[in-house]
Amino acid sequence: MAPTRRWRAAAAAPVAALSLILAACGGGSDSADESGSKATGIFADAPVAESLPEGSTMAEIKERGELVVAAALDAPLLSQQNPTDPDEVEGFDITLAKLLATYIIGEPKVKIVPPASQTREAMLQNETVDVVFNTYTITEERAQQIQFAGPYFLSGLAIAVPKGNPEGIDSIDDLAGKQVIVGANTPAVDYVKEEVPDAELVTFDTDPQAIQALAQGRGVAYVQDYLLLATDAATNDDIELATGALTAEPYGIGLPPNDPDFKTFVNEWLTKIQEEGQWAQAFEDSIGEVTGQDAPDAPEIGSVPGS
Amino acid sequence: MEAITANSEQLLTAVRQTLLIAGVSALGAMVIGVLVTVARISPVPILRAAAFLFVQYFLNVPLLALLLLAVFALPDAGLVLPLAPTVVIVLALYEGAYVAEAVRSGVNTIARGEIEAARALGLRFNQIMRRIVVPQALRAVVQPLGNIAIALLMNTALAATVGVAELTDTANQLNNSAAQPILIYGFVGLCYMALALAIGLSAGRIERRVAVRR
Amino acid sequence: MSFLYDVPGPVTRRRIRIATAVTALAILALLGFAAWQLNQHDQLDAERWTPFLDVDIISYLLVGLRGTVLAAGVVAVMAFPLGVLLAVARTSEHAALRVPAVVFIELFRTVPVLLLIFVMLFALPRYGFNPSVLWKLVIPLTVANAAAIAEIVRAGIVTLPRGQSEAGLSLGLRRAQVVRRIVLPQALRNVTPSLVSQVVSLLKDTSLGYVVAFTEMLYRAQVLTSYNRLLIQTYVVVTLVYLLVNGSISWFAAWLRKRLDTPADVAVAEVPAVLPVMSR
Repeated sequence: MAPTRRWRAAAAAPVAALSLILAACGGGSDSADESGSKATGIFADAPVAESLPEGSTMAEIKERGELVVAAALDAPLLSQQNPTDPDEVEGFDITLAKLLATYIIGEPKVKIVPPASQTREAMLQNETVDVVFNTYTITEERAQQIQFAGPYFLSGLAIAVPKGNPEGIDSIDDLAGKQVIVGANTPAVDYVKEEVPDAELVTFDTDPQAIQALAQGRGVAYVQDYLLLATDAATNDDIELATGALTAEPYGIGLPPNDPDFKTFVNEWLTKIQEEGQWAQAFEDSIGEVTGQDAPDAPEIGSVPGS
Repeated sequence: MEAITANSEQLLTAVRQTLLIAGVSALGAMVIGVLVTVARISPVPILRAAAFLFVQYFLNVPLLALLLLAVFALPDAGLVLPLAPTVVIVLALYEGAYVAEAVRSGVNTIARGEIEAARALGLRFNQIMRRIVVPQALRAVVQPLGNIAIALLMNTALAATVGVAELTDTANQLNNSAAQPILIYGFVGLCYMALALAIGLSAGRIERRVAVRR
Repeated sequence: MSFLYDVPGPVTRRRIRIATAVTALAILALLGFAAWQLNQHDQLDAERWTPFLDVDIISYLLVGLRGTVLAAGVVAVMAFPLGVLLAVARTSEHAALRVPAVVFIELFRTVPVLLLIFVMLFALPRYGFNPSVLWKLVIPLTVANAAAIAEIVRAGIVTLPRGQSEAGLSLGLRRAQVVRRIVLPQALRNVTPSLVSQVVSLLKDTSLGYVVAFTEMLYRAQVLTSYNRLLIQTYVVVTLVYLLVNGSISWFAAWLRKRLDTPADVAVAEVPAVLPVMSR
């Protein structure tokens, strides 16, 4: 029965190859970049929780030794991977995430899982990640699916235009009948539809794409979160802000549903870093660096519906 | 079902957009494919080399990378067109390379005698191409061309990643508001299958009509 | 193609020379325009290109390439056996095997992979199926490529002379044995070049990792552009890397085709009858 055996061997070969490939690559690295564990700079004096209740989510994270965070890799000043040193991810959001990791674990150890912008709720519900730091706007609708700690920052929708504001736009009404760029599944979609129903929406999946599209004239304006636009404008000479924040957009820290203790814990941590100055420091090291602004007053925790 | 019926107008617009992108780029791909094939079998070495490089580039580079290059990068060099035309041009070039490969294999099926006869009659290269080679080569590859058309239809979905509101993008938008993924993606999947079936059936019909009996 | 034209005489030679000159001029004009246009926008400045000589940037992209190869490898390892099984099932005498195979193949051949990826991202997690990002990319690619591979293999089976399997049956072999010992070995050999070409297509498909944020080359290119804002340069470099990798595989397929001397009609029939469900 030699041919039969040969046949079996042939069938087994691919399976063996598969396990080899998987083994060689450590089970497939899911674009997870571990961040530096050195407790220097802002993390050196950052608060560390004194004790974690047994069996709590926090204790599990400490046990694991790293905080799994949904955060971008391609958001300059908020959460940008440094390609010359891929372990280094820098910005306001990710610094806060590392501060939270420090609070829980004692070291700023995080594992980043970049979300496609539409899957953040799912990532929390399925426990793919522990927390979301991803300019995540608190809404009551989302709060039915997951929990929000914070808000940790107050922003709002604003309008960006190409440099020099060729269309002379300075309010939302100026967008009537024009092509307006928005991010897919962002609050801007409903806002623009509501305020200027006859504007034509041009949708992009990610902020960098939308910014490029704006700079290239694929729409007269881009409606997006003020903070995001400010950082974009600071790093891109082709665009500028036409307005300040037009709406009140509170950013929250996304947390898994049905875990009130974890939410209380994260809110306590947020209060602490606001009082001790790490929050302001994180802002000034990132966004403040390019906008030249001092850190604003931190928003009051639990001050918006859904938080 | 309500998510479908309530948004039938938006879905219809999306189907039309998908068909428009697919249709125009299919035409473009045919023209490009035939021209490139003629260049590849021409007696002019430099033309052959250029056609070879063209085909190699577009066969070996992912469509998504080409789309990102054309939509997001080229405007930095002042080359901007509206989104849908940009997608159509990229798709026509990309699928044009596949058409060129298919037509070339069709050329191989033409009996040498026919061309020798044409030459004996004193026809020039371009006459031989126009009257004998291209028509027969195309007839021989109706099915492969039909398959390329289906692949092209599938590839129009990538327009969603650069912000064109075609069928796949619309499915996503509807799902965001209606949150009925199985229903919406299932329905849109059926739309694609129906369109592909239509292409497949017409390819079969065309083939039966134009087939060269040997 | 030499039979397309005679050994050129003096007039033809002149005509070819003229055509060569015109083509060369046209190509030069095109390249010149591209260079001029790029230069107008400072895209040719040396400092916009030298970052790609930086070891860190190169290794950043190479890690991306490793992800591309990993994803392609996993897809290939799963899709090839599945594709062969589907092809055998589709050509089987038993409707119980044939019908499911036809449904699978036609379904995944006519639904865009991107739509399948969106199903993995946005639909299945709601129902408790939430694998890692690698699998969200690899599963849709596997089913789509298995369908394509099945059609290639089926072309090999269908174009095999009937006498082959008839001879096997008349020797008293069972159908399964005929398929295993006579039909498949020959069919697979005949379509090997096409199967190698399918690897190119599959490797290109992994660029959809960009959509699911899987660390492959195109995704890393996107993160790189948000950092350095060198869009043209980054994407040009990346397409050239793809060309290099896939070009080598394509070249290998062409070499195999010549070496194995596969019948030309299999090459044409690579992608045979569309939707033969109807014509069967």
